[in-house]
Amino acid sequence: MRHLDIAVVGGGLLGSAFAYGLSSRGVQVGLIDEGDNAIRTARGNFGLVWVQGKGRGMPEYARWTLASARAWADFSAQLGEETGTATGYHQPGGFFVAISKDEFNHNLKLLEQLRKEAGADGYEYEVVENPALREHLPGIGPEVPGATYCPHDGHANPLQLLRALQEGFERNGGSYIPRSRISEIRPLAAGGFEIFNGDRLVTGCEKLVIAAGHGSGDLGRQLGMDIPIHPVQGQVVVTERSPAHLAYPTNYVRKTDEGYFMLGPSARDTGFDLETETTTLRDIVRQCSKAFPYLRGLRIQRSWAALRIMTPDGFPVYAQSRDFPGAFSFSCHSGVTLAALHAREVPQWVLAGEIPSEHRCFGLERFDVSA
Amino acid sequence: MYRRRAAIAEPVILWFEDRKITAAPGDSLAAALLAAGVSVFRRAPVSGAKRGPFCMIGNCFECLVEIDGQGVVQACSTEVRQGMRVYMPRGQSPGEGD
Amino acid sequence: MNAIPVRPEVVVVGAGPAGMAAACTLAESGVEVLVLDEQPAPGGQVYREVEKVHAERPEDLAALGTQYRVGLELVRRFRHSGAGYLPRTSVWEITAASEPELAIGTLRDGAAQMLYPRHIILATGAMERPTPFPGWTLPGVMTVGAAQTLLKTSGLIPAGRIVLAGTGPLLYLYASQLLATGTRPEAILDTRPATSMGALASLLPALAGQPGALLRGLGWMRAVRGSIPVFSRVTALKALGDECMASVSYESAGQSHELKAELLLVHDGVIPNTWLAMAAGIQHHFDQRQACWVPDVRGVGRTSRESIAIVGDGAAIQGAEVAILQGERLAHEVLGQLRTPKGPVQPTPAEPTALRQQRLLQRFLKRYFPPTAYFQLPLDDSTIVCRCEEITAGEIRKVAALGCVGPNQAKAFTRCGMGPCMGRKCAATVSQLIAQVRGLPVAEVGHYRIRPPIRPLTVGQLADMSIAGEESGAPSGAGAVADLLTPGDQ
Repeated sequence: MRHLDIAVVGGGLLGSAFAYGLSSRGVQVGLIDEGDNAIRTARGNFGLVWVQGKGRGMPEYARWTLASARAWADFSAQLGEETGTATGYHQPGGFFVAISKDEFNHNLKLLEQLRKEAGADGYEYEVVENPALREHLPGIGPEVPGATYCPHDGHANPLQLLRALQEGFERNGGSYIPRSRISEIRPLAAGGFEIFNGDRLVTGCEKLVIAAGHGSGDLGRQLGMDIPIHPVQGQVVVTERSPAHLAYPTNYVRKTDEGYFMLGPSARDTGFDLETETTTLRDIVRQCSKAFPYLRGLRIQRSWAALRIMTPDGFPVYAQSRDFPGAFSFSCHSGVTLAALHAREVPQWVLAGEIPSEHRCFGLERFDVSA
Repeated sequence: MYRRRAAIAEPVILWFEDRKITAAPGDSLAAALLAAGVSVFRRAPVSGAKRGPFCMIGNCFECLVEIDGQGVVQACSTEVRQGMRVYMPRGQSPGEGD
Repeated sequence: MNAIPVRPEVVVVGAGPAGMAAACTLAESGVEVLVLDEQPAPGGQVYREVEKVHAERPEDLAALGTQYRVGLELVRRFRHSGAGYLPRTSVWEITAASEPELAIGTLRDGAAQMLYPRHIILATGAMERPTPFPGWTLPGVMTVGAAQTLLKTSGLIPAGRIVLAGTGPLLYLYASQLLATGTRPEAILDTRPATSMGALASLLPALAGQPGALLRGLGWMRAVRGSIPVFSRVTALKALGDECMASVSYESAGQSHELKAELLLVHDGVIPNTWLAMAAGIQHHFDQRQACWVPDVRGVGRTSRESIAIVGDGAAIQGAEVAILQGERLAHEVLGQLRTPKGPVQPTPAEPTALRQQRLLQRFLKRYFPPTAYFQLPLDDSTIVCRCEEITAGEIRKVAALGCVGPNQAKAFTRCGMGPCMGRKCAATVSQLIAQVRGLPVAEVGHYRIRPPIRPLTVGQLADMSIAGEESGAPSGAGAVADLLTPGDQ
C-alpha cells in the first residue's frame, strides 16, 4: 500500500502550487484530485496578480500580497524553464478603474486608509484622472472619472499556470492521483494518515495538506479545523480576438496574450450553483462597456461561472491541526496572486512542521468568538 | 470551386478586400464569395494558415469575415447587401496582409 | 406579425420538419405558438429554401429530387397554420433551471430580447459528424452538407475536379443530385467498413416496412456507381496542399492512391445538434454505437427539464419523415401539459405504423453506415482536432497523459473547445481521445460544459438588452461586487 511523505488534497491553484513546491525538495508527494466534472474553482479565475486595494484591516495580508507580487516574475521564469509552459505573466502595473464618481471616491478613500495602515511597508500608487487617463488606457470611456495605478500589479493566464504547476510537479517525480474525491481522513495511531474515497483507500501519508477548495471545510472538521468558507459566485465574459490595444490589466477588463478580452467582475450568493445568470452577464458587459466603449462591437465568445472560496473577512486561512500537527489546511480566493509564495514559502512551513509566528494571523483563531 | 447554374437577374454588388463581387439577391455572403472564386476568407489565429468555409450551416465558424460597420460575422449566416464592404478579419492572427 | 408576443404559450426553436409539424398541430389546436428560425424562410436544412427553389429555379428543384420537393407541402401548411413565425432570429440561450422564470434569449435585427414562454420545444436538428483527418482544415475541403446547402440556397454546383469522401445516405444522395445537374465528381472514396451481421439482420424488417425508401436509396447508389468510380473500404484519407488543397491521398484495397482535386467534400453521417439543449442544462448521454451525445428523452420528447421538450433529429437521428410524425405527436403531449399542468403525465400514445416502419429503416441505415473509425480516433498526432484554436490530436493525448481526465480540464490546459464553434467540431473527438489514453468509457469522460451565448451576440447587443421586471428586481451581481469583495480579488 502506498505511503507518501506528503499528500496534498486538491488539484486547484493552491494544491498544485503546494505540491509543486514540496516535490522539489526530495520528498514523495501525491496530489489527490477530483474528476473533470466538479466545482474546480481554479478554472474560473480572472488572472490578476494584484496588489492595490488589498488588506484593509489586516496589514499583514497587504505585505504578504506585495511579497508574492515581487516574487512572481522569478517564479514564473523558473516554472517556464522547468516545464516549457509559459504562464503569460506580465507586470506593467495595473489600473484600478472607477466607472462612477462614487466608486472613484470609495477607491481613493480605501487606498488612503491602506497607506496609513501600512506605514513604511506600503506601496506606491498614483491617481490618474480622465482625460489624462486616455494616454495610458486609449479608448477609456468618457464616463470614467479616473483610476489609480500601482506598478506592482500584473496578470497571468491562470489555466496555463495550473498546467505548468502540474507539469513541474510531475517532472519532479510527484504522483498525480485524479478521480479520487477524498471523503474521509483517518489519523493513524503511529502518526500519519490514511485518506479514503468512500470505501476505497486512496493512500497513506506522513503529512497532509488540505487544499480542497469548497471541500476543505468538511475535511478540516475531521481533524478539528473548522474552516469557515462559503461560496461567492463570479461570472466572466470573454470576447473574440481583437486588434484593440490594452497594455495594462484593470479590475474590470484585461487583454490576454491570445488576443481576446476578459470582462468581469461579479459577485453573488448562489449557494453552490454554477449556472450563469443572464442579468449578471448583462451587467458585466454594461459596466465594462462603460469603461471601454469600443468593446461593444466585439462578439462574446464564451462565459462561465466559478465559486470563489471566501472566508468571512476575505483573507486566507493558513491553519494547522492542533490535535494532529502533521495536517495543515490552506484556503484563499487569490490563488493566482499568491501562487509564488504558495510554491516557494508555504511548503517550507509544512516541512518544518509549523506555521511561522508572523503568519499566525492567518490562522483560525481570529474567527473565535470568545468572551 | 463553385459555379452558378442560373444567370443573376438583379445583381447585388459588394466588395471583398476591395475586389468587386457580383452576387444574387438572397445569397449568403459565403455563397457569393465562393461563386466569385474566393476560397480563402480568413487566417487561423495561431499559425496564420489560410482558412475557408467548411460546413455552410453556421456550426464551424470558418467563414468569419469582417464587414464595415458590422464587425466580424459568419459569412454563411449573413445575407448580401448592396455596397457591403467585406474584409478578412483584421487583428485576429499572424500573417495578415500577406 | 408586427408586435412580438413576449409571453407566448409555446416557443418552437427551429423551422425544419419537426418544428413545423409541432407548430402546425399546436396552432391548429388554438395554442399561441411562436416559431423562432435562424433561416430567412421555413424548411430547416432538409427542405432549405424549398419555396424559393420551387418558384425560381425549376432546374434545381428537379435535380434535388422528390424527397426535397415534398417539403413544400409542409411549408405551405405551416404558413397557413396560424403559428407565429420569426425568421432571421437566432436563439443564444435558455435560462438555467435555477432562474426564477423560464426565458429564451433571442437576437433579431441586431437587437437582443428575452422571451418568456410557458413551454419550449427544441427542434434544432442535426449537424454533420466531425471528420478530423490530416489536411481537413485546408481551403478546398468542405462537407457534403455544405455543398448541398449551396445548391439549395444559391443554385451553386462544384466546378473543377471534385472528390467525395466518407460514407452515409447523404453522400450518395448528393452524388446523385450532382449527376442530375450534369456534374461528375472524379471519385467517391467510400470509408464504409464491411457490412456487419447486425446490418444484415436489420435489412429484412426495414425492407418489409419501407420498401420504397430502400429501393430509392438503392437507385441512387446504382446511378452513382454507374457514372462515378467508387473506391471501397477507403482509409488513410489525407488532403494535401501548400495553402489550399491540391490533391487527396488515400488507401483502398491495399494500394495507395493520390488524386488531384480542387474540392474535397466529406461526410460521415449526422448527429444531433445538442448545443442549445446542453446550454439549457438538459441531461444527455453518450451513444456508443453512434459515437455522439444524445438528450435523455422519455415519451415522445420529454427531457430532464419539465418545460422543455426536444423533437426531430435534435433528439435522435431518424430522418425527416419521423421528425414530422414525432413533431405532431409531441404537440399532443405538450397540449396535454398546457391544459393540465399539474395533472398526471399522460401515457404516450402508441406509435403509428408509419413511425414504426421508419424506425426500422433508420435502424438498418445506422448499422449499414456506422461512424468511420478513422475519423473517430485520429491516428496521426499531427491531425488538427480543434480547428478554431489549432490543437492537434497529439496535444490532447499529451495532456490526457499528464492527468486531464475529462474534456473541461483538457480545454483549460490546451484551449481546445474555447474557440467560436464552442466545441461543435471537436467535442466528440476530444472526449474519445481522452477515453483512449486514460482507458475510461467515453460516458465517464464526459462532455464540454456548454454555456451561453451559443449563437453570436456582441457585448453591445447584450448590454443594450432589457430584462423583464428588473426595475423591481434584486441588485445584480456585478454592482454588488464592492460589498462582497476587496478590489482586484476576482
